[in-house]
Amino acid sequence: MGLLIFASCQQNPKMNDNINPFFQEWNTQYQVPPFLQIKDEHYMPAFEKGMEENLAEIDSIVNNPEEPTFENTIEELERTGKLLTKVQRVFSNLAGSNTNPKLQELQRELSPMISAHYDKIALNEGLFLRVESIWNNRENFSLTDEQIKLLKDTRKQFIRSGALLDSNQKEEITKINSKISELSTQFGQNLLAETNGFELILDDDELDGLSDGVIAAASESAAQKMNEATSPEEKAKYENKYVFTPHRSSMYPFLTESTRRDLREILYKSYVMRGDNNNENDNKEIAVEIANLRAQKAEIMGYKTHAHFILEDNMLKSPEEVYDLLIKLWEPALKRAKSEVLDMQAVSDSEGNNFKIAAWDWWHYSEKVRKAKYDLDEAELKPYLSLDNVIKGVFNTTNKLWGLTFTEIFDIDLYHPDARIWKVTDKDGSHLGIFIGDYFTRSNKRGGAWMSSFKGQSNLDGRERPVVVNVCNFPAPVGDDPSLLSFENVTTLFHEFGHAMHGTLTNVTYPSMAGTSAPRDFVEFPSQVLEHWASEPEVLKSFATHYQTGEPMPDELIEKLLKASKFNQGFINTEYLAASLLDMDWHTITSDVVLEDANSFEASSLAKIGLIDEIAPRYRSTYFAHIFSGGYSSGYYSYIHAAVLDSDGFEAFIEAGDVFDETLSSKLRKHVYEKGSTEEAMDLYVKFRGRKPIIEPLLKVRGLDGKPD
Amino acid sequence: MLKTYLKRCIFCLALCFAVSSHAHNPPYLIISEIESGRLTFENEQIAAEYAAASKRLRIRRLEAMPWTKKIYVFIKAGFEHIIPDGLDHILFVLGLFFSSLKLRPLLIQVTAFTLAHSITLILAGLGLVKIQGSFVEPFIALSIVWIAVENTLFKKTTRWRSLVVFMFGLLHGLGFANLLSQYGLPKNNFISLLFAFNVGVEFGQLFVLLLAFIVAKTLFKNSWESGKIRVPASILIGCAGLHWLFQSLV
Ligand SMILES: [Zn+2]
Repeated sequence: MGLLIFASCQQNPKMNDNINPFFQEWNTQYQVPPFLQIKDEHYMPAFEKGMEENLAEIDSIVNNPEEPTFENTIEELERTGKLLTKVQRVFSNLAGSNTNPKLQELQRELSPMISAHYDKIALNEGLFLRVESIWNNRENFSLTDEQIKLLKDTRKQFIRSGALLDSNQKEEITKINSKISELSTQFGQNLLAETNGFELILDDDELDGLSDGVIAAASESAAQKMNEATSPEEKAKYENKYVFTPHRSSMYPFLTESTRRDLREILYKSYVMRGDNNNENDNKEIAVEIANLRAQKAEIMGYKTHAHFILEDNMLKSPEEVYDLLIKLWEPALKRAKSEVLDMQAVSDSEGNNFKIAAWDWWHYSEKVRKAKYDLDEAELKPYLSLDNVIKGVFNTTNKLWGLTFTEIFDIDLYHPDARIWKVTDKDGSHLGIFIGDYFTRSNKRGGAWMSSFKGQSNLDGRERPVVVNVCNFPAPVGDDPSLLSFENVTTLFHEFGHAMHGTLTNVTYPSMAGTSAPRDFVEFPSQVLEHWASEPEVLKSFATHYQTGEPMPDELIEKLLKASKFNQGFINTEYLAASLLDMDWHTITSDVVLEDANSFEASSLAKIGLIDEIAPRYRSTYFAHIFSGGYSSGYYSYIHAAVLDSDGFEAFIEAGDVFDETLSSKLRKHVYEKGSTEEAMDLYVKFRGRKPIIEPLLKVRGLDGKPD
Repeated sequence: MLKTYLKRCIFCLALCFAVSSHAHNPPYLIISEIESGRLTFENEQIAAEYAAASKRLRIRRLEAMPWTKKIYVFIKAGFEHIIPDGLDHILFVLGLFFSSLKLRPLLIQVTAFTLAHSITLILAGLGLVKIQGSFVEPFIALSIVWIAVENTLFKKTTRWRSLVVFMFGLLHGLGFANLLSQYGLPKNNFISLLFAFNVGVEFGQLFVLLLAFIVAKTLFKNSWESGKIRVPASILIGCAGLHWLFQSLV
C-alpha cells in the first residue's frame, strides 16, 4: 500500500462531495478539468443549468436597448454558453473514452435536449434581426477581416437554419426535417437488421483454406449464437458449426482465405444485397424519399440542389468543383484497377482455373498477388514501433517543424491512469497548450481514434490556451514488453496528433473560430499531412528503433513497407470514387425530377462512369449509411479531397529538398495550423502552397500515375 | 493508405452531428471517427485493466522522480510493508523474539531470516526465480505456525532452528517480491531500488524487535523471565498463523 498512496495523487485538492465541480471556477493547473471530483450525477444538473444560463445570456443580448453593434451582439455571443461548453466538453469526451452504462444512458437522454437547445438559439428571431442589422451596416463599423468573417459565418448559420424564410416556409422546413430524420433512423435500423439477418453456417468440411484464427472466430460466433438461441431446434442449428456474417470483420477474412468459390459468392452477395431484398427492411424507397425531400428543402432554402446547399460551407464550393475533382481521379484509378484484375486473372489461370475473376474473387486473388509482389510481414515491423518511441518520433517531428517541446506532467490526475499529459511549449518558451494522450484500448472505451478538446483557445478576454486530447485504441503492453504498434497504428497516431496540433497551435481571437472549426473537406488536411512525416525514411529511421537492441529499422524493411502501401490502390480508390460519385448524383437532383427506383438510378449512375463488374461501389445506395443516415450527404468526397491536399502539401517539402524546410514549415503553421476558420480554406491553402492544389502528387503517392511500382 | 482513412471515418458520434449544424455551438467536439453501437461492460475486466494501468502510471511517475526521492520512496514502501501492512511478517518476527531469552541466539536467527529473505527478494526481483503468490502464502502461514509450535513445546531452541528460520526466510522473501512486482519497479535504477526496498523491510523488522524488547523489558520483566508470557503469546501467534493457513488454502 505504501507505494500506492505515496506515488499517486499527492495533490488531491480538497474534496467536497456536495458541490458540483462544474459550478466552480477550476483553479487547477492549466485549467485541466478536476476529473477526480467529477461524478456521473454532476452532468445532468450542469447541462440543465448550462442551457438555462445560455438562454438567459441570449435574451440579454436580444433585449439590449442599445443599437446592435458588433461588440454588443456578435462578440457578446462569443462569450455565451461557457458553462454549457464546459460540461459538454468533459461529458462528450468521457462518454467515449471512459464510459459506463450511466453515461451511455445520459447520452441518449441528452442528445435531443442539446439539439433542441441549439435550435432555439438558431431560430431566435430577435437575435437574427440584430445580426442582420449589423451585417447591413458592416461598412460603418470598421471591422477587421477576422471580424467580418465571424459576422458572415454567424449570419450564414442563421440563414441556413431558415431565418430568412416566411412562416409557411419555416413550417414546411420543420416538417421536411423531421420526416428526413425519421427516414434516416429507419434506414439505419433496416441496415442493421439486414446485416444481422444473414449468416453463412458451415460444417467442418466447408472450411477449405481458412486459417486457424479465422476458424476459431467463426466457431466462437456459432457458440455465441447458440447461447442466445431460445429454442432447442435453434440451438441445434449452431451446434459444432461455424458462422460467418456480412459484417466486414467476418466477411473479409473469409473472402480472402476461403478456397470455396461458391461460398465466397454467397457471402459476398449477402453483403451487397443488404437493404435490397424486397422485404420489410428494404431501403430502396427510403433512399429515394430522402433524396427527394432534400431536394425540396434545398429549393425552399433558395439553392439549386441539396449538394449546393451543403457545399456552400466547404472548401470546394459547388458540385461542379467536386465532380471535376472526382472525375479527374476516376480514370487513373479505374485504369489501375483494370490492371489489377489482369494480375489476378493471370494467377487464377496459372492455377488451372477456368473462370473469369468476379467481384467475390477479389480478396482471395489480390492476397495472392500481394504475397508474390509486396510480401511484407507486419510482425517484422512491430519490434521497431514501440509506442514510446513513436510518441518521441511525433514530438520530434513537431520540434523540427516548429520548435515545440513537450514536457510530461506527473502531478495532474486524469480520468484514467493510462491517460498521459504533456505541457506544450513554443520555440520562444511561451506556453502553447496541454496535450493529453490516451492510447491503449480498454473495455470502457469506444473503438476508433479521435481528437477532441477539454478547453478551447481564445484571445477575446485575455490569452487562453487549449487543452486537447488524442484517444486511440492501440494494444496495451503485455507483461514486461512495451506496447508495440503496427504501421497502421503509427499513421493513426500521427494523424490524430495532426488534429491535436491544429487544436494547439491555433491562435485566433474568437473561440468559435479556433482550431478544428474548419470546413469538413479541409479539417482533415492538418491531420493527414502529418502522416507523411511518419513514412518519410529519414524520420522513420530516427524513431523506429528496436525496443530490445536499439537498432534502427533496416533500410530494406523500410523499402518493403513503403512499396506495400501501393498494394490494391486501384481497387481501393475505384470503389471509393464510385461511392463518392453516387453520393453526388443522389444529391444533385432538382426537386422537379421524379425518381422512381433506387436500383435503376444507381445503375445508370455507375454505367455513366463505366465501373467494371469486378468492383462494387464502396457503399451501394441501400447501405450507404454515411449519406442516408449519417451526416455525410454530398460530403463523402471529403476524404479524398483532403488526401489531394495532403499529398500536394507534402510535395512542397519534397520539392524544397528538405522535409523540415524552415520557410515552408513556418508557412504551414502560420496559414493552416494557426488560423482555424478565420479565413476561407482555399485562401489559407494558397497562402501556404503558393498555388491551388493539384492531383498529381496524390496519384504518385497511391501508385495511380501509371508508373511501375 | 485510403483504407485507413475510410476505416477511421465510418461512424461519427451522434451527439456531434446533432450539435454541428446549429448556430453558436462549440466547434466539433470530436474530430475523426469513433465507433457507434452498444458497448458491453465487463466489470471484472474493467477493474483488471484499471489495475494494470495504475501500475503503469506509478512506474511512469516513479521514473520521473529524482534519484534520491525514488530511494526514499522505496525505503518507505519496504518499511510500510512491515508496519502497518505486514501483520504476518510482524508475527513471525515476534515468534522469533519469544523463542529466545538471550540476545545471541535471537541475533543469529534474525540475521538468518534477513539474509534469506534478501536473497529470494533479489532473485525474484531480478526475475531469476518465479513463484506464484498463491503458492507462497500458505507456506508463510505455516512458518508462523511452526515457530509458535516450537516456542510452545520446546524449552530450548534446537540446533537446527537457525537453518529452519533460514528456509522460512526464503519464503518470506518471495512474499515481499510478489508484492513488489504488483507495484512495479522502474527499469532504470532497478537494482538500487530493489535494495532500497529491502533496506526498508529491515528497518521495519528492527523496529518491531526494538519495540518488543522495550515493552518486554519495562512491563513484563518478571513474567517474561518465567516464560508466562512466552507461551500464551506464542499460542496466539500460532492461532493467527493457522487462521491464515486455512484462509490461503480455501
Ligand atoms: Zn481525422
